[in-house]
Amino acid sequence: MVLAVLLVGALVAAGYLWRTTAAWEDHAAQWESEARGYAEEVAALQAELDGVTAELVAAREQLDTATARITDLADEKAQLGDENVASQQYLDYQRRVSEAAGVVATALGQCTAAQSQLIGYLEDRDAYDPADLDRFAADVEALCDEANDANAQLQQELAR
Amino acid sequence: MRAPTRDPRRPSGLLAVLVTTFVATSCAAVPELPPPVPQDVVPSVAPPTLSAAGSDQLSPDGFDAVQRMAVRIRNVGCASLSTGSGFAVDEHTLITNRHVVADSESLQVSTYDGRDLDVSAASTAALADLAVVRTEDPLPSFPQIADDDPEEGDDVTVVGYPAGGRLTVTAGRVIGTTRDPLHENLGEVLVTDAPVEPGSSGSAALDDDGDVIGVVYAKTTDGRSLLVPQSTLREMLDDTSAFTELTPC
Repeated sequence: MVLAVLLVGALVAAGYLWRTTAAWEDHAAQWESEARGYAEEVAALQAELDGVTAELVAAREQLDTATARITDLADEKAQLGDENVASQQYLDYQRRVSEAAGVVATALGQCTAAQSQLIGYLEDRDAYDPADLDRFAADVEALCDEANDANAQLQQELAR
Repeated sequence: MRAPTRDPRRPSGLLAVLVTTFVATSCAAVPELPPPVPQDVVPSVAPPTLSAAGSDQLSPDGFDAVQRMAVRIRNVGCASLSTGSGFAVDEHTLITNRHVVADSESLQVSTYDGRDLDVSAASTAALADLAVVRTEDPLPSFPQIADDDPEEGDDVTVVGYPAGGRLTVTAGRVIGTTRDPLHENLGEVLVTDAPVEPGSSGSAALDDDGDVIGVVYAKTTDGRSLLVPQSTLREMLDDTSAFTELTPC
């Protein structure tokens, strides 16, 4: 009787264990299938990531090149601007010198004309009032002094 | 003599105990049936961000904030031409050196990407080699001014236009402080080993956080750079009477 009970119990236990084992095997198989699916997904995503990373590296290199080029262009533009300003200042200087030279030439011309006129007056000194001659001579001298001053300034400017 | 009688109940009791114990221990040791495999085991997490380190400092054109705040200043004098550097402190205000803007007929400001900005006004400080330039056009970027002066050994980054050339970022360390050998500034000035050149005057000196710790104004004969410290800059900016309007030559 006891042995029968034990036998039945053992059979029940064996049946339960067989069913449990089968269920766990099935369970493990499902997990493995699931894992393989995810592994394939991971592999695909990894490949995609590698591709995107390579694109990102290339894009960053292009960006670095572009920013370096922009910096170079900005520098070139600044240098051209400097040269332009320097040229403009040089042109302004040349213009001022030319204008000053014209003024000096005119003043010296007026000086020499006035001196010639004075010489003419002095050659016929008796025909003129001595006081007027002195006044005219003083005016000519002042005119020539101004011309000389202008010339000195021009020479000083040219010497800079 | 009588043979001992056997108690028929005794083995049954022992057996019951054994069976009970066996069943109890077996039930505890026997594995349970597996749970069903879930349909989806992917955890729901926030998608990763693509921000790389320092990308928050980047603008869409790829330049970082350090470069974007720097400007090149061309001082067109009545009979001279010089260049210097500067940096923005707000959308329409630049800081540079007084000697960068001195004796100017006009000031021309350009940005890191070569854009020209119109200048509306300029003023200079009497007690420090500092000047403020206002622009009509908005400036691309401006940093914060640091809360404290740097300590000896702190890292420093200088961004500017040495020798009037291309935008350059150099690095060094704070060596210490000294009295201004040029007597242009009241109080002490900072000494660093960050390389600078003529034309770097007015460059911003930044700490590791990108905050302004000083303004480059000179270079020593042994190749060190001198900075107006941020404390002096703050004092000048806080005192509206510290700056007087710059009159063209």
